[in-house]
Amino acid sequence: MAISLTVNGQKRSVDIESDTPLLWVIRDELGLKGTKFGCGAALCGACTVHLNGTPIRSCSTPVSAVDGQEITTIEGISGSTTLHKLQQAWVDHGVPQCGYCQSGQLMTAAHLLSYNAAPTEDEIKTAMSGNICRCGTYSNIVAAIQSVAGSEGEA
Amino acid sequence: MSMNRRDFLKVAAGTSGGLMLSLNLTACAGTPTGYSEETGSWTADAWLELTPDNQVFFTLARVEMGQGTYTGLTTLIGEELGVAPERIQVRFAPVGKEYINPAIKLQMTGGSTSVATSWQPLRVAGASAREMLVGAAARIWAVSAADCKVDDGQVRHPNGSDALKFGQLVELAAKESVPDDPALTPRDQWKYIGKSRGRLDALAKSTGTAEYGIDVELPGMVYAVVTRPPRYGATVASFDASEALGMPGVLDVFEIDRGVALVADKYWRARKAQRALKVEWNTEDALSASNASVMAFYRKSADEDPGVNEREEGDIGEAFESASRVVEASYEQPYLAHATMEPMNATALYHGDRMEIWAPTQAPDLGRIAVARVTDLSPDEVDIHTTFLGGGFGRRLTQDFIGEAAEVAYKVNKPVKLIWSREEDTRHDLYRPAMLHRMKASISGDQVTGWHHQIVGPQILDWYVRNAAPAQYPWAPKFLYDTLGKAGLMGEGLMTPKDTSAIEGAVEYPYQVANLEVRHTHCDPGVPITWWRSVGYSHNAFAVETFMDELAHETGQDPFEFRRNLLQHEPRHLAVLERAAELGGWGTPLAEGRARGIAVHRSFGTYVAQVVEASIENGAIRIHRVACAVDCGPVVNPDIVRDQIESGVIFGLTAALYGNITLENGEVKESNFHDYQMLRNHQRPDVEVAIIDSNEAPTGVGEPGVPPVIPALGNALFALTGKRQRTLPLTA
Repeated sequence: MAISLTVNGQKRSVDIESDTPLLWVIRDELGLKGTKFGCGAALCGACTVHLNGTPIRSCSTPVSAVDGQEITTIEGISGSTTLHKLQQAWVDHGVPQCGYCQSGQLMTAAHLLSYNAAPTEDEIKTAMSGNICRCGTYSNIVAAIQSVAGSEGEA
Repeated sequence: MSMNRRDFLKVAAGTSGGLMLSLNLTACAGTPTGYSEETGSWTADAWLELTPDNQVFFTLARVEMGQGTYTGLTTLIGEELGVAPERIQVRFAPVGKEYINPAIKLQMTGGSTSVATSWQPLRVAGASAREMLVGAAARIWAVSAADCKVDDGQVRHPNGSDALKFGQLVELAAKESVPDDPALTPRDQWKYIGKSRGRLDALAKSTGTAEYGIDVELPGMVYAVVTRPPRYGATVASFDASEALGMPGVLDVFEIDRGVALVADKYWRARKAQRALKVEWNTEDALSASNASVMAFYRKSADEDPGVNEREEGDIGEAFESASRVVEASYEQPYLAHATMEPMNATALYHGDRMEIWAPTQAPDLGRIAVARVTDLSPDEVDIHTTFLGGGFGRRLTQDFIGEAAEVAYKVNKPVKLIWSREEDTRHDLYRPAMLHRMKASISGDQVTGWHHQIVGPQILDWYVRNAAPAQYPWAPKFLYDTLGKAGLMGEGLMTPKDTSAIEGAVEYPYQVANLEVRHTHCDPGVPITWWRSVGYSHNAFAVETFMDELAHETGQDPFEFRRNLLQHEPRHLAVLERAAELGGWGTPLAEGRARGIAVHRSFGTYVAQVVEASIENGAIRIHRVACAVDCGPVVNPDIVRDQIESGVIFGLTAALYGNITLENGEVKESNFHDYQMLRNHQRPDVEVAIIDSNEAPTGVGEPGVPPVIPALGNALFALTGKRQRTLPLTA
């Protein structure tokens, strides 16, 4: 079926089976490889993107369910020349190890700050509990979020 | 002054650990060696290329899977070359003999060897290039090289104001003699080594631009999935692809070595069509083991065969005879999966006479063997392009995913990307072996007088040599591969290194006990196994450090003081033990309902002690704090050391709380993260890491954080409940 999406602010259209997970549309049809395949079952969070500003697991979301809606991926959270403040914090705190889960971690963290500008440590841990990191970068993730929590404005 | 062949050979031969300038040996006589007239670039050695526009390229021979080689090894070469690491551009190495890991004799990243084996050769390579650049500048200025200084990519004139950039010097530097013995920068003058300067790959990994194997895209690429037998060792009896072949996008279905491959134009179409594929399996030779049958087999083997005596000191028989008390315990540990976040995958392109592979692999030279086995190509007709790895933990030392992709590409003549599902990744892993440990100690008074440890289970090279042996003899014809594999097995300790995978961490028992024996009963239930982060240390540390805790309690001693008293002759063990105890507040009052456990273990040359503080809340184990002390010799990047130890702690605690692969009639029951769980952010303890300042030879940190944390947690739970747990995973 023909699907229209706004991805990172750009209108995109694809013609594809309606049950194709959004993840594979983003990665293989639109060529945005920053969003990762981890489990295919909404269990690990590596594929997290924003649907109209809210995190979803793209590996388990059929593309037909998001027809006509707005998707933001890791490639879309920074400005054209500037990093999202969380991305800068990730670099400053040396968060990524293997790095494979970090796009999903960042998308979840960015959403957290969008509704709670100054989360407590417990609120951060709870919000981030759906994103697995096999390298165990969790404490650096929390420290990076805390370093920008409460600062003004989005990048 | 021109560089001659003899100079290069001298350098290649005169430095240990694999510094080879063989790339330069191909240059024609009369031309500046290593210098390209066409590009104006200077290939100083196997690792460094400097361009006239001041770019520095470093070829990284150890893969980056999270452990930090990308930053750490670049720091080593940058320090001596005199260029800030962040200005160096990193390339992943192709397969080449100059990139072989000298500790393993294969081009392999594992065993926490990267810093230890690169420490000297990379610094020598950087220093050598630096001295040649300085020599060139000194010649231009007609001054003494000794009076020139190097400062972040340029050589400064003795007058302090003039400077020449490296790019301006490369053509002349290429004509300088390779120094015999380049001077390494003394420790007190290091600018980059030992400093926390961030991770060089952090930006790419925070913006989604780092390329992993799964991200490789080739024009006209198709996708493959493979249906593998649910029971290891089963083979395809027949398959019916009639329905699958009629589904959208499906291009081909055919049998391969491991099962049935299905190829489609899109990944999701391949996955959907795979469900319509019907495969019947021959199961005569298939695994039928269950967890219970494996342990029963181990117990029977242990009863029948006391095993090879791997270490013997004093008179253990006499110790037991004269003991006032004998304490015995058995420990059982399960199979564990690797669960890398990036599932197994590889992309293959067959050119008719060559095969190109793009893959996240820990052993590209073994990847060549995997391709050679399934095609008519020889290993040197296979190019392996290594990407970033979304986790490795030992899983990607085995090249089955490359073999599968190559087999499919060889057949379909199109670029093929093969991706495993998470379920396939969990069920068709090669596991950390399940193991049985039988421990026995003799006690007289409050002294431990004898230590007996019988390790029961398989060893990993039995499963690994088949592919590793041919990779060590890449010139060998393929019909010899199986012979080489068999010879490698038979020649263990001679032709291949002694396989210490079952006994490491047990045979080096560090405590001062007069009579001891460590035995290995070698028995293999046929379940596929491979290296798993910290390998044998992962199960031996649990057995040794838990039994030590039992003995402390049996003799009425504090578990920390008990270890301390028996480690007086082991200063590095003692230092980390004492530091961890101090950091973890050993002996100080605890919040109600909490207890501490302690363990110390040396693995891969690195000493780690940990104090775990835990409680049981709402029927679940809660880990509050882990205090760690580590001695890994000189530290290249303290942040990375701390992060790796913490990473190991999370990895070990995940195994301690959840790790268990369940076999039923040869089938693995777990499939995805709901039944093979990982520790998550809200369950994480606070981890503190103290680094012991050291001038010893540097050792690795990728794995040593794992082994002690599992017994330390178990020991804390014993302190809390009085109930000793001798099987893993631990329960509340």
